[in-house]
Amino acid sequence: MSVVDTLREIRAQAEQELSQLENTSALETLRVHILGKKGELTALLKGMGKLSAEERPVVGAQINEAREWITDRINQRLATLQAAEREAALKSEAIDVTEPRELPRVGSAHPITLVMDELIECFTGLGFEVLEGPEVELDHYNFELMNLPKNHPARDAQDTFYMDDNIVLRTHTSPMQARAMLTMKPPIRIICPGRVYRADEVDATHSPVFHQMEGLVIDENVSMSDLRGTLEAFVRKLYGDDIKLRFRPSFFPFTEPSAEVDLTCSACSGKGCRICKETGWVEVLGSGMVNPKVLEMCGIDSTKYSGFAFGIGLERIAMKRYGITDMRLLYEGDARLLSQLR
Amino acid sequence: MKVSMNMLREYVEIPVSPKEYEAKMIMSGTGVEGVEDISGGMEKVVVGRVVTCNPVENSDHLKICTVDVGAEELLQIVCGAPNVAAGQLVPVALDGSILPGGVKIKKGKLRGNMSEGMLCSSTELKVPVELYPSIGDKGLLIFNEEYPVGSDVRPILGIDDYTVDFEILANRPDCLCAIGMARETAAALGTEFHAPELTVKESDGRIEDEVTVRVDDPDLCPRYTARVIKNVRIAPSPMWMRKYLHGAGLRSINNIVDITNYIMLEYGHPMHAFDLGMVRDRQIIVRRAHEGEKITTLDSVDRVLRSDDLAICDAISATGLAGIMGGEESEITDKTTTVMFECASFDRTAIRLTSRALGMRTESSGRFERGVAAKTTMEALDRACMLVNMLDAGDVAQGVIDIYPNPKPAQVITASVKNIQTRAGVQIPAEAMVDVLAKLQFGVQRDGDTLTVTVPDFREDLDGEADICEECLRIYGYDHIGATALRGETTQGAISPMKHLKNTLGGILQGLGYLEIMNYSFTGLKEIAKLGLPEDDLRNQPMPIRNPLGEDTAVMRSTLACDMLKTLAFNMNHSTEEAYLYEIAAVFSHHTPTKEGLPVETQTLCIGAYGGNTDFYSVRATVEALLRSQGISCEVVAGADPYYHPGRCAQLVRGKQVFAQIGEVHPTVRDRFDMPKRAVMAEINVQQLLEYSSPMNAMKPLPRYPAVSRDLALVMNECIAVGPLMADMRKAAGNLLESIAMFDVYRGIQVGANKKSVAFALTFRASDRTLTEPDVQKAMDKVKKVCSEKYEANIRG
Repeated sequence: MSVVDTLREIRAQAEQELSQLENTSALETLRVHILGKKGELTALLKGMGKLSAEERPVVGAQINEAREWITDRINQRLATLQAAEREAALKSEAIDVTEPRELPRVGSAHPITLVMDELIECFTGLGFEVLEGPEVELDHYNFELMNLPKNHPARDAQDTFYMDDNIVLRTHTSPMQARAMLTMKPPIRIICPGRVYRADEVDATHSPVFHQMEGLVIDENVSMSDLRGTLEAFVRKLYGDDIKLRFRPSFFPFTEPSAEVDLTCSACSGKGCRICKETGWVEVLGSGMVNPKVLEMCGIDSTKYSGFAFGIGLERIAMKRYGITDMRLLYEGDARLLSQLR
Repeated sequence: MKVSMNMLREYVEIPVSPKEYEAKMIMSGTGVEGVEDISGGMEKVVVGRVVTCNPVENSDHLKICTVDVGAEELLQIVCGAPNVAAGQLVPVALDGSILPGGVKIKKGKLRGNMSEGMLCSSTELKVPVELYPSIGDKGLLIFNEEYPVGSDVRPILGIDDYTVDFEILANRPDCLCAIGMARETAAALGTEFHAPELTVKESDGRIEDEVTVRVDDPDLCPRYTARVIKNVRIAPSPMWMRKYLHGAGLRSINNIVDITNYIMLEYGHPMHAFDLGMVRDRQIIVRRAHEGEKITTLDSVDRVLRSDDLAICDAISATGLAGIMGGEESEITDKTTTVMFECASFDRTAIRLTSRALGMRTESSGRFERGVAAKTTMEALDRACMLVNMLDAGDVAQGVIDIYPNPKPAQVITASVKNIQTRAGVQIPAEAMVDVLAKLQFGVQRDGDTLTVTVPDFREDLDGEADICEECLRIYGYDHIGATALRGETTQGAISPMKHLKNTLGGILQGLGYLEIMNYSFTGLKEIAKLGLPEDDLRNQPMPIRNPLGEDTAVMRSTLACDMLKTLAFNMNHSTEEAYLYEIAAVFSHHTPTKEGLPVETQTLCIGAYGGNTDFYSVRATVEALLRSQGISCEVVAGADPYYHPGRCAQLVRGKQVFAQIGEVHPTVRDRFDMPKRAVMAEINVQQLLEYSSPMNAMKPLPRYPAVSRDLALVMNECIAVGPLMADMRKAAGNLLESIAMFDVYRGIQVGANKKSVAFALTFRASDRTLTEPDVQKAMDKVKKVCSEKYEANIRG
């Protein structure tokens, strides 16, 4: 049989076996049988020495051509078989993905922390620095530097816990503002979040311990409209762009002029309902321009600098956000409630 | 403060609806709690005359009446009142009328007879008896006076009015009266304010002959003014005055007392009326009380005074408390013939302290505490005497007493238009500022940028330009304030390192399934006692609050453990199967105070968990992970506070520093906190963690040479603690040891009683070469040696 015939036969046989074999190991056997060291083609190549110098290149080329052809066919078949085997394996490994399993526990921060951190994020973005101070405070910082001298009747409005004549549980986070003004130089942009205390009996809307975040800006030419701009930025972040904000004249000893800030009632979108006492507005925070007397007491030249301050109650925001109607729930530590909030 | 709207209209036009009025006042700085229609929404109730009145057949009490209400035809109305009779003038609720409270009256048939309305009783109309004393409260209301038929009954009954409930800001005591609110109203609405024109008609007799007044302590009584009324004719007050008093929620007593109350409502000045006949020697002395001096006040209570209290005295002794309450002896009675009206100004603080010390809060003391202007007492006093003239309640004696040793000069503030505009952030025109201030009764002169403002006598709340700015802005309108962004030098927004650490610890714990809780910062001594700390432990002596809400909130927390245990118990007792909780808050210690004398506040983390696979080891691992997050690795040392299970608690220690303690809760303590299940708790000093936390600097190079692993199983006595053993193994293994981990503990028959088999995996690696077998063998030999020699452990493999 001529080499050419042999090659044709090898090809034909390979073709037939390739189409019949069903797995990669049979394919490997075939490959070794034809192309391996002792394979048919290898044997043909070894037989080349017997050929004449003229025949050798011709036959060599034919063998190589057959080799490439077969290799190619084997590889194609290999790819198909591998894909089929992978497919079969995947099929056999399928699981019931709907079968339930226990979830990993995911905890969460307290709702007050969640609200506080959101406000902090907003104000640090506006260039405010977060300062925290002592909760047990000197009367001097809590009241006197806030323009509330001893025996001032406005002190009654803030039912105060006293440790002794000079030490109180801070009734607001304003004492931290005083401390900041005494130690920092303008421009000052700070927020002071934290626990504050008022001697209120516990009920659904009162707690002797609650949280506030106060803000303070001191610089040259600071105005009420800067206050409004800053508060609008934060209110939009918290409640979205549709919310409207209203400034209403008020009185705080430490600000002049003073303003209460109301937001559109979210329950009725400002149409008036029971929650907003038919006014369409809900009070959220107190604010104003820092009283020049306060600036002077804290060592800041009130003819050169002015500033604004604001204070937000965090419980109210958290309760509104999560639909909590009884403040006591915030301090009970009931895992069934806390695990719902995020 | 409640004020009758009709009373306000005596001084100012209010050309807007009650609803609009409310809005205008709120936006100019006066809170309005509500505007109440005092007729209760009554509509279409008119005066009618009963023309005929006959019994209804088959009824023992109903009568059928024809009633003239001024319409073309008489109405037929069925009435059940026993006192109805022909000829009477009565209130008639017409068809379609509304009674107070919203009841609608429609015509209809009663026992087959058409009834075209209803004849009303005072109860049905909810008429206050004190406004209309003759009406009685039984049966049909019958008018005693003549009124045209068909006219609205509301003005007749004195209920054609609204009561406005104002919320006056703390700095505006001048607004606590009708005149004050009328001034604000005029400014807010842009209408005119008319003050009453004061004219007093004086009769015979001179005040000097009736009474002498001496003020010994002018520091507490800057001004004392008085007038005398002779031939007092005590009688009821007229309808208009009763109406206004009623509108303000005050009861009418008699003309003299009502006048003093009326002045308080109208001018905001508390007054006092003395029966001069009962004032010994007809002498009034205003002085500090003697320590221990006794008086009986108007409310018939005996009181003991201190030397700080300002007393009103007669020639013999103290008889009343200045500005708070008068004395019983000189009370106005039906027999009173000569009265002295006192209108004074007292020191706010003195009144406040006396009022607090004696637990007496009166309308008068409340007003003096907030401030009553000295400059306007005489106006109020003259107005009172003018009312005496009007009511013919007596004869005003000639002259006044006015003791005002240091009259305050008018207050003048200069302000810059530009500064006001800058502060407000609103370009309020200078002319508008002048207008607003004039409306608020300020004297204003403008010279270019400079405003020279004279503060009216009744205002004592203003200090400078900033206050003038507020006055201008609130009337010009806060709605004009635009929104501008902060300008100027940029500042770095940042959170404090402590807040950052709290966020990190909280974040890790949340990822591990923990929920954050918050508790009050105060607790009770009984709670702390439940922990069973040694007697001399400072946590047993927490910082006390002087005026706590109650025993269980009387001291500042010296530990977070009590609240954590309470919260764990709460959850256990609410059938919650498992809970993983943490709190980060300050604990307080006043034993070594700060430089400022304040207690030391230590931020502390407390973790508590029960249920699921919670055990000592899982919580310890959590705590170790928290410490590692700050670059701190600790040794575990057995033992912790006594509220932990003595055999299942430990401290995490590095050198001399204790960073945390962890343990199962002691069963006795669990009982005290009513905890039915086992729980594990841990406490970490966050302050200390912050101080020792080391920042992550440079990474270690990744290994370039392979590691060699060896396992080692040891059988040892049960009492051997694995922690110290591993520390010794580590030491013995030397530098080549990369890590050592315990991966199994076995107890059973094969290893023998009181023995355990513990298996370790050791990994060796060198950073500069591939380890050889002899390297590892040498290290392993040392490890085995220490195990067998020091711990008598048998090496199994």
